[in-house]
Parts: sequence; C-alpha cells; structure tokens
Amino acid sequence: MDDADVAPFDGLTEDDLMDDAEVDTMVREAISVSVGENPFIHSKIDAWSNNVVEGCLKRLAALNKPFKYVVTCNLTQKAGAGLHAASCTRWNDKTDGKLTVQWENNTMIILVTVYWLAI
Amino acid sequence: MVDASQYQLEPDYKNKFKASRAKEIIGNVLKARLTGAVYHADNTSSWAREISDDIKHHLKEEGWPRYKYCVQVFVGEQRGEGVRLACRGFWDPQTDSYAHDIFQNESLFCVACAFGVYLY
Repeated sequence: MDDADVAPFDGLTEDDLMDDAEVDTMVREAISVSVGENPFIHSKIDAWSNNVVEGCLKRLAALNKPFKYVVTCNLTQKAGAGLHAASCTRWNDKTDGKLTVQWENNTMIILVTVYWLAI
Repeated sequence: MVDASQYQLEPDYKNKFKASRAKEIIGNVLKARLTGAVYHADNTSSWAREISDDIKHHLKEEGWPRYKYCVQVFVGEQRGEGVRLACRGFWDPQTDSYAHDIFQNESLFCVACAFGVYLY
C-alpha cells in the first residue's frame, strides 16, 4: 500500500475503524443494565447517569482500538416538554464518528451520544 | 537525519485547548443567540443546530492546531422536568479537555458542551 492509500485514515487500517451497529448494541446494553424499567427517581439519577456513561466507556475501552472516546448521557423526565439536541463536529470524517441512541421507558427519555476520535 | 527524541508529541501551552476560553466562547454565543428567546417546538431545532455550528466556528477561529472538536447542544423547554446530563471521556488528560456553559430564561434552558481532542 502506498502513502496515498493510507493518508485518509491517518495511519489506521480499515480493520481499526468502528462499527456503528456494535456501538449501538453496547450502549443499549449499558442503559438497560443500569436503568432498565425503573421510574424517574431524583435521588438515583446521579448514580444512573454515571453508570450508563461508565458502562459505555468500559465496553468501548475493551475493544482495544486506537481511539479516544467521549460519551454524553442525557436523562430527561417525561413531562411533555420539548427537548432538542444538536451536535456539530470538526474531525477526520473517514476515521471518526458519532452515534446517538435514544431510549425510553414510561417515565424518562435517555439520550446517549458516543463520539470516537482516532488517535 | 532527524533525531527522534526531538519529535513533539504534545502541543505547546499556547497551542493547547483552553477550557476557560472555550467556556467564554460558548457563553457569548448562547447569550447572543438566546437572550429573550421563547421556546417554540418548530424553530428550536434549528436554533440548536445553528448554536452548535456557531460554537464550532468560533473554536476554529482560536486556531488551536491539530484539535478535533465535538460540540453538543441541548435546548429544552422549561417545564419543571428533571434533566440530568453526564459526560465522560476516555482520552489523554494532558491534551484533551472540555468546556460547557448553561443558559436559562423563563421559557427555555440550553446546555452546550464542547470537547477538544488532540490528534497526535
């Protein structure tokens, strides 16, 4: 492979890249393990959001891929209020990516966003 | 022949992502965009996009080289609902950082986070 083939991936090979579907499964798993069908309880929110973020990061780190990760988690109580989320990035489109998972139960909406950025 | 021990792996202090400056930028954008704004389901979505774009644009103008940015904006209606936002990064604390700022008025709240991740 000559330089021109390698350059777009910043030195990574195609095998190093992340698979969206895999991340999606990991995030959903992390959410259902830590929150599940529990109703929105104010005193537990701190622990839940921590567990979700930590669960996602642990699973991502276990992949042993050359990426840095950022995970954000938004827990909102369902109260009929609107919420809009937007994100905007500047990175290498070929290697880096983002995945948002929306998950809800009867009382809350959870929005988890994962960014992975090549080292 | 280049001496490999002279390679630079980290940015100089002046080229580092500065969280305090980023927070200032975010705060200014939010204030400029949302002062006096009233929540409306139809246009808030595009506000969120515009705000995130604005913040990214201003971060780029700071000219911190080799940084990748992620900007995330949440705009929500103020109805007394509980909201909890958490974030965490798996990264190099020497080079990477994040900043956030919050804007609130009677009808809406807005949280914006900006992450700066260094590419070695």
